[in-house]
Amino acid sequence: MANLTIKNLFKRYDNVGKKTKTVNDYAVNDLCLTCNDGEFVALLGPSGCGKTTTLRMIAGLEEITKGDIYIGETRINDLHPKDRHIGLAFEDYAMYPPLTVYDNIAFNLRAKGVAKGEIDGRVRDIAKLMHCEELLDMMPVKLSGGQKQRVNIARAIVRRPEILLMDEPLSHLDGKMRQSMRVEIKRLHIEINCTSVYVTHDQLEAMSLADRIAIMDLGVLQQFGTPMEVYDDPVNEFVAAFIGEPPMNILETTVIKDENDFFFTFAESELRILVPARYYSKVRDGFRVKMGVRPMDLYVGGPESKGNPERVAVFENLGDERRIGVRVGEHMMMLITNDETRYRHGDIIRLEVNGEKTHLFDLETGDRIRSDR
Amino acid sequence: MAKIELINVSKRFGKTTALKNVTLEIQDKEFFVLFGPAGAGKTTILNNIAGIQIPEEGMVRIGDEVVNQVDPADRNVAMVFENYALYPHMTVYDNIASPLRSPRYKKFKDNKAQNEAYIKEAVHKVAAMMKIDKLLERLPSQLSNGQRQRVALGRALVREPNVFLMDEPLAHLDAKLRNAMRSELKEMQTAFGTTSIYVTHDFMEAMSLANRIAVINLGEIIQVGTSDEIYYMPRNEFVAQLMGDPEINLLECTLVREDGSSLCWAECPEQLIPMPKHEELEERTEGMEQIHVGLRPQNVHYHFEKVPGAFTGNVYSFETIGNKSVLTVQVGDQHLRVIAPNGLPVKLDQEIFVTMEIDRAIFFDAGTTEYIGRFDEAAVKELVAEQAKEA
Amino acid sequence: MSPTAKKRLYAVLKNGGLAIYSVFALFPLLWMVILTFKSDAEMLTTTFVFTPTLDNYKQVLFYTDYFRYIKDSVIVAGGAVLVSVLAGVPAAYAFARYEFKNKEKIAFQILSFKFAPEILVVLPLYMIYQKLGLYDSYLGLIWVYQLISMPLIIWVVRGYFEDISVEIEHAAQVDGYNWYQVFLKFLLPLIKPGLVSSALLCFIFAWNSFTFPLLLAGIKIEPITVAATKYLAQSTVHYGQMAVAATISALPSIIFAICIQKHLVRGLSFGAVKG
Repeated sequence: MANLTIKNLFKRYDNVGKKTKTVNDYAVNDLCLTCNDGEFVALLGPSGCGKTTTLRMIAGLEEITKGDIYIGETRINDLHPKDRHIGLAFEDYAMYPPLTVYDNIAFNLRAKGVAKGEIDGRVRDIAKLMHCEELLDMMPVKLSGGQKQRVNIARAIVRRPEILLMDEPLSHLDGKMRQSMRVEIKRLHIEINCTSVYVTHDQLEAMSLADRIAIMDLGVLQQFGTPMEVYDDPVNEFVAAFIGEPPMNILETTVIKDENDFFFTFAESELRILVPARYYSKVRDGFRVKMGVRPMDLYVGGPESKGNPERVAVFENLGDERRIGVRVGEHMMMLITNDETRYRHGDIIRLEVNGEKTHLFDLETGDRIRSDR
Repeated sequence: MAKIELINVSKRFGKTTALKNVTLEIQDKEFFVLFGPAGAGKTTILNNIAGIQIPEEGMVRIGDEVVNQVDPADRNVAMVFENYALYPHMTVYDNIASPLRSPRYKKFKDNKAQNEAYIKEAVHKVAAMMKIDKLLERLPSQLSNGQRQRVALGRALVREPNVFLMDEPLAHLDAKLRNAMRSELKEMQTAFGTTSIYVTHDFMEAMSLANRIAVINLGEIIQVGTSDEIYYMPRNEFVAQLMGDPEINLLECTLVREDGSSLCWAECPEQLIPMPKHEELEERTEGMEQIHVGLRPQNVHYHFEKVPGAFTGNVYSFETIGNKSVLTVQVGDQHLRVIAPNGLPVKLDQEIFVTMEIDRAIFFDAGTTEYIGRFDEAAVKELVAEQAKEA
Repeated sequence: MSPTAKKRLYAVLKNGGLAIYSVFALFPLLWMVILTFKSDAEMLTTTFVFTPTLDNYKQVLFYTDYFRYIKDSVIVAGGAVLVSVLAGVPAAYAFARYEFKNKEKIAFQILSFKFAPEILVVLPLYMIYQKLGLYDSYLGLIWVYQLISMPLIIWVVRGYFEDISVEIEHAAQVDGYNWYQVFLKFLLPLIKPGLVSSALLCFIFAWNSFTFPLLLAGIKIEPITVAATKYLAQSTVHYGQMAVAATISALPSIIFAICIQKHLVRGLSFGAVKG
């Protein structure tokens, strides 16, 4: 067990064509990251953001262009993958097909020359931990997707790695299976408490598994924080839009001044939303900015509400929650409520906004504009 | 525009039976959802209506006509395929125009120029509605999945068919796009004005879009009803489990009666849950000892301190599912899923207490897993009737 | 050695190798073309320095039945390709779309027609053709050329049909087209690259075929490959005329190959159809 430190890591592919849109053609650009001992860190981002490249550099499967990687105090840049004390669980279950599950799990231990009795003990312990004891004598082809993934992870942790690396281990599984494996991975992590790096493009997976999430885009680290930090306090528009489902409503708005108050106004819409007082030092009449608010932070006002009357464009009853869509120009503003009232297409509702939860983003750079408080 | 009927339709592929005696009646202008797990036979039903497959037994009726022997081209149906099935060698414009150029659906059979002029207008109108008007010159290979899906919808919407058939049109989109498209589809529904049959395995799509839902499993219709009816009064545990994410909690309970009196208690793992008085339910459970109590995760509540009637358990897992989280609590050897807000400060294995809204529970026969009833059945039935009237 | 120097060395070696290979591959062709411009007198006495003459071309084109040979070749090879396309495309469709008993066995059987050496089957065929009256007829040659062209077309086009998702056909049917229209408007354009390239390749193979026409025809019908040998058989060997005959007969193959080479590579590698 050890911590993992990544210092100013760069990766550049020689034959990167014009296709990759990464900054300066770097697949990974000046990445600094520290995973504490026993921490579960998710690398999250859309495809091509450099998350898998980073993982492969940690594993030693990819050459490092510039920068250093440390496990504990050891610089591992020049170590052979097998000497790095890492366990790898790949996206596409790279199992040896002619070997049984048992032999697959034992393979690496045998290669290292571990004593026979010890191998047997360790394989059986891990199999018990991963709930795959009854699979030990089966062939890989006979396994279902979830079982394969279980064996795959068992194989990665049987050598007692200092760092466990996982690359989208659940992406091949269907909905329910994925959910239950997610719970198992989380529980496994608590039991073996091994520093883990988990690559995924699914923000739900990252949110529910990770202690901290590193969100990457175009090879650049955008934000590194706990799930609630990135959810409640995103540093820019990219993070705000990427985290959360349904996504945050982010709309372009013009601020106008009416008497002593500022309001957000929107193109092709009557909607006016009061600018929270904490932003008053940041806005002025005619200021153009993007406003973001999560669907959970919008609500339907009561009879004496002063909120804007808006027409319901979509009402969806999803059983445990209801979603209301309101057209604001081109954009559909979504609102989620647990209230059991039913609306029909065209009904008028008073739209209220939880001012404490609104975010502002710079129109050009997408950076968050923070209030004074 | 027409009513669609399937009467005792059976379909076999070799030795496997894909559909068993399916009887369905879909009303004119209804938005009807076929809902079920993968391999249930949903797509087979659509294919039988479209004429792509022909049933071995039974009748398919569109309007008043039995269409078993009618070619797909002559059934006047429009279909959106799961993999979109766009013509790769044609531009978006030509793809959408394709039905209007076919010998069967040409508006002006003898005047090519007039026909093309009409097509141009129709395609642009649909493209504007689907927000793909800037993509008309592109080939399908140059589009994203979401755009392809819109083109496929556009190709179906460009003419006025008897019925729209949609086969999992949103299945291949990522979660965000799928939700956004679902809302848009819902918004467009009023513009369809045509009988629509929509296949999905996603319960949110079914709940959101349907006037009525048919739940299908292993080639058989399990239940047909409005979304409320199926959500609140599922015919059996299978339906209850399908409708809802996170899944409904099913508790094995023993019924305890106090010496012949009508008062009911349910004994779940270690504790008694008091049951309100409800004569009809008492009648229906007469003689039963074991029942299953179905409780949706939003009807189970967590507490950090012991409250009267609460069960004691441990946190088994806590994970976010987007705008809210699921807290799984281990009580005895049962796992209870509870809805909780994001960011709830819990540690795994910590002690926690849960209470259940027994008056919102759904009771199932422990043997057959069939629906028995619920305490608020009367209220639910009222709701269902209202929803049915609206539809 | 620095990485740049390494790269440069690699480039030099690679290009040098390719240059040597191209000389090796193209020199015989060049030699043949040179021969066509030599008179018989200079034929064996000179190499590259000689007085060019067009006598050989005149001789071949005006004083022999050269155009008849060409015509025979075109009819036989063209006919074979035409029949292969007409019969092979539907066969390929059936292999791709329908399940029937022994499907793979039949498909393999068809491919196996190409396995046997021509010389092995040609003798029994000769006897059969004699009996059936197919010997030395267009029909007979076209028939036997199917052995060369049909398997290729079926296998290439089948791959193309398999790449087209069946839903595209369904979508077109639902759009209001009957099966023939679906085939012509939607399937044909999608298999075109494979069909054209495999058909042209077949044409080249059929055109170049020698054993079959040599033994199954040769009196009334003389394709160019067989006829070219005539210049050997006469009293003196007219190398120049033979070279002319060979050069001209090779032209269609070369022109086709150059025209279609881009499509050929793409057309014969499957998976070209992407939705």
